[in-house]
Amino acid sequence: MAPGEFFYRPDEYESERASNSYLMSLVVIMAGLPLPIVNVIASAIFYFANRKSAYFVRWHCTQTLLAQLFTLPVNAAGLYWTLGIIFDRTTISNGYVSYLLTIILFNLAEFIATIHAASRTRKGNHVVWWFFGPLTEMLVKA
Amino acid sequence: MSRIAGHFAAIAVLFFGTWFLLSRFDYLKLFRVDELTREAEHNLGELILDELQKRNGELGSDTVYHVVEGIKERLCTANGIADSSITLHIIVSNEVNAIALPDRQLVVYTGMIGYCKTPEELSGVLAHEIGHIQHGHVMKRLRKEVGLSMLTTLAGGDAGSEIARETARLLSSTAFDRTLESEADAAAVHMMARADIDPQSFADVIFRLSRETNDFPKRLEWISTHPNTADRCAEILRLRKQETVHARAVASEASWSYCKRFFRKNSVSVK
Repeated sequence: MAPGEFFYRPDEYESERASNSYLMSLVVIMAGLPLPIVNVIASAIFYFANRKSAYFVRWHCTQTLLAQLFTLPVNAAGLYWTLGIIFDRTTISNGYVSYLLTIILFNLAEFIATIHAASRTRKGNHVVWWFFGPLTEMLVKA
Repeated sequence: MSRIAGHFAAIAVLFFGTWFLLSRFDYLKLFRVDELTREAEHNLGELILDELQKRNGELGSDTVYHVVEGIKERLCTANGIADSSITLHIIVSNEVNAIALPDRQLVVYTGMIGYCKTPEELSGVLAHEIGHIQHGHVMKRLRKEVGLSMLTTLAGGDAGSEIARETARLLSSTAFDRTLESEADAAAVHMMARADIDPQSFADVIFRLSRETNDFPKRLEWISTHPNTADRCAEILRLRKQETVHARAVASEASWSYCKRFFRKNSVSVK
C-alpha cells in the first residue's frame, strides 16, 4: 500500500463516497464471512452505482471491487473445503488447517488495509494498494 | 503491465509460501484430533452396543459363536486385516440383520445366521459389514445424520439413554447411502475372493432376501434398508467375474449343521 498524491484535490463529497466504497466491504463482512460472494456483490453494487461519479470515486470503487474479486476464489475455496469436511467428502488435514490459517491472515491484512484506506480517502488522500493500485490505474480512465 | 504481473506473482508466492510454511506444523497432533476421534468412537461403540445388549441380549452358544468368528477370522486374515481389531457380537433377535457399529464392532443378529442357507452366504453378509468398517462408513454416516454436536454429547457420556436408543435404532434400521453401500459391496466381493469364498453366495443371499421382503417386511430389516437389489446383485456378479476364486469350504458341515439345529431348536430362524 502506498499513499500518494492524486492529480487533483477531491472535494468533501468525493472523499466521502470514495471512503464509503471501502466501508461497504467492511459493513457486510459479517454476512460475507460465511459466504464470500456477499462482499463482492456489495462492492459491485456500490461500483455500478458510482460508475458515473467523479474520477476519484470511480478509482477507489474499482480498487475495492478488484480486491474483493481477487479474494473471492481464495475464500470460496476455503468454504468449499470446509463444506466437504462437514458433509464428509473429505477429512480434516494439516493442509486444510494451514490453508484456513493462511486465508485468515490474508483476510486480516485486507481488513486492516481497508480500514486504513477508508480513513485516508475520507481525508481526501489517495491510497494506492500494491498490485490492485496499478491494475486500477490501467482500467480506470480519467 | 509487467509491473502488475510482477506484483501478482509476488502475491501468489507470498500466499503459497505462507500456506507451505504453515503446513509444516502437525496441527492434528497438536490438537489431538486423531486421539479425540478415537476416544469418541470408542465411547459411542460401547454405548450403542450396551443399548442393543440391553434390548436383546447376546448369544450364549460358544459353538455358534466360534463358527461365525471363524468366518470373520478367515475374511480378515486373507485380506491383511488384524482379526482382533474387529470385535464380533451375536445378538439374539429374530430380525434378519447385521450391522457395523463404531469402534470396529460387528454385530450379527441370530435371525440373520438362521436365515443364511450356507456359511458362504453368511460370509457375504459379514464381508459387506467388514467393508463398511474398513472404509470408515459408520462414523461418516453418524456425523452426517446424527450431527457433530450430538456425537460430542454422546461421546462425552452426558447423553440420555433416549439419544443412545435413537442412535442404535438409526444404525440398525436405515441404510448407508448408495455410494457407501456399493463401496461395501465391492469390498465384500474382493474380500471373499481373497479368502477363497465364492462371491456368488453373497449375490444369492441378497437376491433371496429381496424376494421375501414383501412377505416378512419387518423381520427382513437388512435387505429392506439396502436399496436397488437387482442392480446390486448384477454389480456383485460383474465384480465376481473380475476375481479369480478357488473356493474352499468356509465351515465344516458338522459345525454349520449344529448352528442350523441350534436355531431351529431356539426358533429364531425365519423359515
